[in-house]
Amino acid sequence: MNGRKRLGVAVVGLLVACVAATAFAAPLKIGICKIMDHPALNAVEQGTIDALTAAGYIAGVDVEYVIGDAQGDPNNATPIAQNYAAQGVALVVAISTPMALAAVEVFDGTDVPIVFSAITNPLAAELVLGDTDPSQNGNVTGVSDLIDVGKDLALLKELDPAIQRIGLVYNPGEANSDLLTGNALAAAPGLGLTIVTAVADTTANVPMAAQSLIGRVDAFYVTTDNTVVSAIDAIISAAEEAGVPFLMADPTSLEFGPVIATGHDYYEHGLLTGDIVLQILGGAAPNEIPVVYQKDPEVFLNLDAAAAIGLAFPQSVIDQAAGIYFAGTTWSR
Amino acid sequence: MASIWVHAVEQGFAYGIAALGVFITYRVLRFPDLTVDGSFVTGAAIAASLLAHAGFDPFVVLLIAFGSGCLAGLITGLLNTQLGITDLLAGVLTMIMLYSINLRIMGRPNISLLRVDTATRVIERAVPGLGDIAVLLFLAAATGVVVLLLNGFLRTEIGLALRAAGDNEAMITAHGVNPKSMKILGLCLSNGMVALSGALVAQYSGFADVGMGIGTIVTGLAAVIIGGALIRSRRVGWMTLSVLLGSLVYRTAVMFALRYGHHVGFQASDLKLVTSLLVIIAMVVPPIRERLMRKVRAC
Repeated sequence: MNGRKRLGVAVVGLLVACVAATAFAAPLKIGICKIMDHPALNAVEQGTIDALTAAGYIAGVDVEYVIGDAQGDPNNATPIAQNYAAQGVALVVAISTPMALAAVEVFDGTDVPIVFSAITNPLAAELVLGDTDPSQNGNVTGVSDLIDVGKDLALLKELDPAIQRIGLVYNPGEANSDLLTGNALAAAPGLGLTIVTAVADTTANVPMAAQSLIGRVDAFYVTTDNTVVSAIDAIISAAEEAGVPFLMADPTSLEFGPVIATGHDYYEHGLLTGDIVLQILGGAAPNEIPVVYQKDPEVFLNLDAAAAIGLAFPQSVIDQAAGIYFAGTTWSR
Repeated sequence: MASIWVHAVEQGFAYGIAALGVFITYRVLRFPDLTVDGSFVTGAAIAASLLAHAGFDPFVVLLIAFGSGCLAGLITGLLNTQLGITDLLAGVLTMIMLYSINLRIMGRPNISLLRVDTATRVIERAVPGLGDIAVLLFLAAATGVVVLLLNGFLRTEIGLALRAAGDNEAMITAHGVNPKSMKILGLCLSNGMVALSGALVAQYSGFADVGMGIGTIVTGLAAVIIGGALIRSRRVGWMTLSVLLGSLVYRTAVMFALRYGHHVGFQASDLKLVTSLLVIIAMVVPPIRERLMRKVRAC
């Protein structure tokens, strides 16, 4: 092999290496967007990314995440989705109802998969036509965080059979909360309970709504209402002032002082979302993947909060607990 | 898939009609009206409900939305002129009332329009092959019609009386015009346009959300003031055009922040910061250029 040939081989080899490197170096773009900076939604985002990382999709190498945050303004949802389209993302993860609706509208008629997450009722939001039968859902699928409100109410009754009136603070402007409040109102009579609602349309109005229930209820209950959860201290101080138990459907806030916290771990919710993304990246079509409902909400007890109102947990409730909060620490079973 | 700049212009037009509504109260009438944060959603709510639940024509609902906004403005007008409640409080009260009313209209906080024939979908189908450009042309035409009607109206005798009422109440009273009626008229017209904008935005975005009105007054004022700084004129035609230009600048800034913000180290949560910084740049650059040009000429 003479010098010139060797040089030719080297050049060709270098070219092949370059082409191969560019092919591998162009990471798959994935858009992940949420309506606002919120602990549960952030946990979903992190869980999704971690599920992909665990499966070998390294950020910056195999995938590139284009993060979107509408900063609480639904008007930002559409431009965020349009920007994803312009950047040529391979897939969109849309966390919360407005983000999912905007993404589905913008990517209508394309084959870019939309994976929604943290949606209480994807059927009512008309994101999908069928949850168990995905065949008509086009390029849309995802995970729902629907909770069983009746189970929570039954748990309060089990905690203290004398409980009859349950105070529920909620924001009627949140799709998820509105639906769950409706479910609570429907489930209560069957359990011998009455729901007393108080409305708070902004975080600032939560304290007054909670205070309005003091003396009129035997227990407080809060669903996955983003507005109320953001001002959870107000409910806790109202429940303490009234000396009644408080059950909250968000385990991430256990340490702040509800007597019982039930429900989904949103990081886990993100892992489930990531799992659907992996199925799609592995070749499955969204209309082959049924909507996933996160199962088995867990029960956590806060012994410090119970002691503060002189409440002792019955053995049957303790048996259900996946963990307790005691002396400033959460202990798993 | 059209370029994002086409989308920015589309939104500049759709939200521009709301900005024109703010222009009527803030600039023409000199009435700081906060009703718009509620009436924007009222328009979206009426349009979405009638489209999704009653199968109305997507263009007819735009007119109904306009009417609903007029009613909202009427309430603020009556609170202010008949009950003597100050302008700011009258608007705030109506805006707060509208939050509950909007929830009643929709029946829930969020209505999906993904499975109904919205105006944008009808247009896309009617003009095949153009895709998003058809939507752009439709929104430009709709906004153009609103601007022409508004310009025409402001040049009529009543329109002149409306402008005069904002400038000098005593003077038009002396001419036998009731300034209270002018206030009510202006508020109706303004909120009608804001609601029309809400109805257009809902159909364009594919959903109506009870939270979508928050900040309408802020972005509307931003458009009016940006436009006013870019085109300095006292002529009606130029003023309305400047408001549209201001709206285009604002929406382009949002898109620019989304598209390029992360390249210069901004995070997703910096969106509103970057948007405002871009608007500041858009405001500052023309005067600087003017000053430089003057210096160059002086040399």
